[in-house]
Amino acid sequence: MDEQVNQREEVTLVARKACFGLPTACPSCLPVYIYLKFAQTPFNLDFNLTYPDSDQIPYVESGTYVAYNNEKGGVIESLKEDGIVDLDSEVAGVPDWISTKAVVNTWLADALMYELWVGSNGSSAHKIYFSDLPWPIGKFLYFKQTRITKQLLGITKDNADRREEEIYGKATIAYGALATRLGDQSFFFENRPTSLDAVFLGHALFMLHAFPETSVLRSKLLEHSNLVRYADKLRTEFIEAGSSSSIPPSHADPLSSFARGGTSNWSSKPKSKPKKERTEEEKKFRRRAKYFLVTQLVAVLVFLSLLGGSHDAEVELDDDDYDD
Amino acid sequence: MAVSVEEHQKEQPQVVDDDDDNDEPLNGEEEEEDAEDFEEEEEESETFPDKAKMENLFRRISTERVPLRVHDVLIKGNTKTKDSLIESEVEVLKNATTVQELIQAANVANARLRRLEIFDSVNITLDSGPPELPGTANVIVEVAETKNPITGDIGVFSKPEARSWSLEGSLKLKNLFGFGDLWDSSLACGWDQTSEVSAGVSLPKLKRLASPISARIALLSQDWLKFSSYKDRALGLSLGLVSSRNHELAYNVSWRTLMDPSQMASRSIRRQLGHGLLSSLKYTFKIDRRNSPLRPTRGYAFVSTSQIGGLVPDYRSLRFLRQELDLRYAFPLGFYNAALNFGVSSGVIFPWGDGFSNMASSLPERFFLGGNSSPVCTLGGPMTLLGFKSRGLGLTEPRRQIRGNSSDGSSETSSGRDSLGGDLALTAFADLSFDLPLRVLRDAGIHGHFFACAGNLTKLTENAYRDFSFQKYHESVRSSAGFGIIVPTKLFRMEVSA
Repeated sequence: MDEQVNQREEVTLVARKACFGLPTACPSCLPVYIYLKFAQTPFNLDFNLTYPDSDQIPYVESGTYVAYNNEKGGVIESLKEDGIVDLDSEVAGVPDWISTKAVVNTWLADALMYELWVGSNGSSAHKIYFSDLPWPIGKFLYFKQTRITKQLLGITKDNADRREEEIYGKATIAYGALATRLGDQSFFFENRPTSLDAVFLGHALFMLHAFPETSVLRSKLLEHSNLVRYADKLRTEFIEAGSSSSIPPSHADPLSSFARGGTSNWSSKPKSKPKKERTEEEKKFRRRAKYFLVTQLVAVLVFLSLLGGSHDAEVELDDDDYDD
Repeated sequence: MAVSVEEHQKEQPQVVDDDDDNDEPLNGEEEEEDAEDFEEEEEESETFPDKAKMENLFRRISTERVPLRVHDVLIKGNTKTKDSLIESEVEVLKNATTVQELIQAANVANARLRRLEIFDSVNITLDSGPPELPGTANVIVEVAETKNPITGDIGVFSKPEARSWSLEGSLKLKNLFGFGDLWDSSLACGWDQTSEVSAGVSLPKLKRLASPISARIALLSQDWLKFSSYKDRALGLSLGLVSSRNHELAYNVSWRTLMDPSQMASRSIRRQLGHGLLSSLKYTFKIDRRNSPLRPTRGYAFVSTSQIGGLVPDYRSLRFLRQELDLRYAFPLGFYNAALNFGVSSGVIFPWGDGFSNMASSLPERFFLGGNSSPVCTLGGPMTLLGFKSRGLGLTEPRRQIRGNSSDGSSETSSGRDSLGGDLALTAFADLSFDLPLRVLRDAGIHGHFFACAGNLTKLTENAYRDFSFQKYHESVRSSAGFGIIVPTKLFRMEVSA
C-alpha cells in the first residue's frame, strides 16, 4: 500500500530534449531542473519531443498534481505557492533579491531569446526544438516562432540594428551587475541556493554550451570569469553529481512533502470561485439553448419529411457487366 | 412506363428516341412494352410504316436476338466538355451486338453521363447507319451543358467515415476545364463538436485513368475535451486513387496537432500532446448485398479497411498498422416485415518501427467504443455500442486535480476521468426489427426493434500485450440490451430507445 502511494507520488519533470551536454537544453526547462536539483528532490525526467510551441512545458507532475509553466508565473512559482519546494522563503522579501531576479528574468531572458531565434543562424534552436519533428512541420514552426519573437521584442526591419544594440547593451550591464553582486561567493544570496541561482545558472549554462563561439552574447558573458567559474562549479556539484532518472527508495521526506503540501493547500481560493460560478452558469445556459435549437430543428425536419413527397427514382446501374 | 415513352414518339419513324428527360429505367424485359419505332431500312415516304411490319419487328425484338452493329457514335452539344470524356462514358455502346444490348447500353451510357453532374440534359438517339452498310446503326449523343456552373448546397449528411451527422454547406464549380472536373468547397459542423473546412476536386474516369480520382485539402477540428481532454486539429491533403464499387484506395498526408486548452488532461493524454505528421495509405474492400442500408431485411455486407501509416522516409512521422473488419447479415422472418440482423465488427492498431513494442499507439487512431449511432446502419468499423455513452468503454485515467476540486467533489459534467481508447476492439450485436401494428406508423416507415450488443476494448501497446490473456479478455466484455422505436425521415434516421 505504501509502495503504491509512493509510486503514485513520484515526481516527474517533463521537459524538452537533452543536447549540448545539458540534461535538458530548453532555456525555460533548465532552470526548473536545476531548482529541483538544488532542493535535492528526487525526480524522474521525461521528455516531450513533439510540442515545441507549447507554453505548458516544462511541467512537474506527481500523481494527479500538475504544475504547468503557464500558470501562476511559472513552474518554480507554482511549486513555491503550493508549498512543494520553496528555496526562497528567507529571501523572498529582500528588495535586492527581487530586483536582481527581475533583471535576470527580463533583460537576460530577452537577450537569450533574441540570440536563439534572431541573432544566430537558428541551428541551436533547430536542434533543441525541431529535430524530432518531420521536416515541413519543423520548418514552419521555426518561422512562426521567429516571427513571434520579433513581435515580442518589438523588432521591425527599420529598427533591427538599434534594437539589437539595446538588447546586447542591457545584457552587458546585467552581466556586470551580477558579477559584482556575486563576487567570490558560491551563491548570490546568503550563501545558499535560491530560485535566482537556478534561473541564472540555467541561463549561463545555456549560453556557454548551446551557442557557438561566434555568439556575441556568449563572448560578453565570458568577460566575467567569476560568473563562468560559478556556472562550472555548480554544474559539477549539482548536475553531474547524481543521476535523476531513478528515485532512491530511502528518500521519503520529499515525497511526503508533496502529499502534505498537496492536501494542506487544497483550500479553495475566494478569488477563483465567482469566476467558476459564472462559467458554470454560462455553460448551463449554452447547453439549454443548444437543446432548444435542436428540438426546433428536429420538429421542423420531421414535419417536412413526414408530409414530403415520394422518393426520387434512380436508375440502378450494374456497371460490372460493362467493365472491361 | 410505356406511356411516357409514347409521348415522345417522333414523327420520323426510323428514329428511336431514348430521351433522358423521361427518366424511366428500361430493361431488356420491358422492351416489348416500348412503343419504339425502329427500321433497318430507311423509308423515303413520310407516312407511318406498315402496321404488320412493325408488329413483326416487335415480335422479333422480344423473342429473338436481332443482330446489329454500331457504326459510329456522334457527339453533339458540347462546347466546353472534351469529346474524350463523353466518349469514355458511352464506350459501352460500341460493344453492343444486338438491338436489345444496344438499348440497354444506351440506358447505361445515359445514366453515366448524368452521373457526371455537368449536363442539364442528355439525349441518346439511335439512328440507322449509312445505307450502304445494312445492319448498322449510328448513335447520336446530344448533351446540354449546365448554364450555371456554380451550385450551392446546404444539408444534413452522414459521411462514411463520420461518426455522426453533420450540417454541411458547400459550393460546387462544375466542369471548369471541360474534363468533367468538379471543384467544391465546403464547411461542415458536426454533432460531436467537429468542424471542417475543405476544398477538393474530383475527376471522373477518363480514358487514360483507371478510375475516378479526387483530391481534397481539409482543415478538420475535433473537440474531445469532454471525454478525453484534448482537441484535435488536422490540416491535410487526401488523394482518392482508386474508387470503384468494391475497392477504394486513398492516400492521406496531414499535419495533426493535439492540444489541451483546458489543462486538465490525465497523464497518458499529456504524453500524446503535440504535433505529428500522418502519411498513410488506406485500402477499403466493400461488398454490400443488403436490400437497404437503413433497414436491411435480407442480405449480407462485408467491409475490410486496412491502413498503413508512416509512408514517408522520415522516421519521425506516425507509424502504425490498422485493420478493421465488419460483417453484417440480415435475414427476414416473414411476419410483420420482421428481420433479424447480426453483426460483428473488430479492429486492431499497432505501431511499427524501432522500439514498437514499447511505443504507445497514436491517440486519435485508437478505437473508442460507445455512442448512439445504430450498428445496423453503420459500416465503419467498431465504433458504437448502444447503451453506452460516447467513448464510454475502455480504459480511463484520472484527470488532473487542482486545489478546491476535491472538497467540492467531482464536477457534474464529467467523471473526472479521460477515456483512453484501446488498441483491440470487438463488438457484436443482434437486432430484431419489426413493423408496428398501427397502419399509420407502418406507412410512415416507423418500426420497432429489440437489440443486444456486446463489446470489448483492450490495450495492447506499451508492452500490455505481454499480459494479454483470453480469460481476462473474456471477463472485460461489456454488454447491453434494449428496445426502441425508429422513425426514418427523408434526411436522417431518428431513434428512441431504452
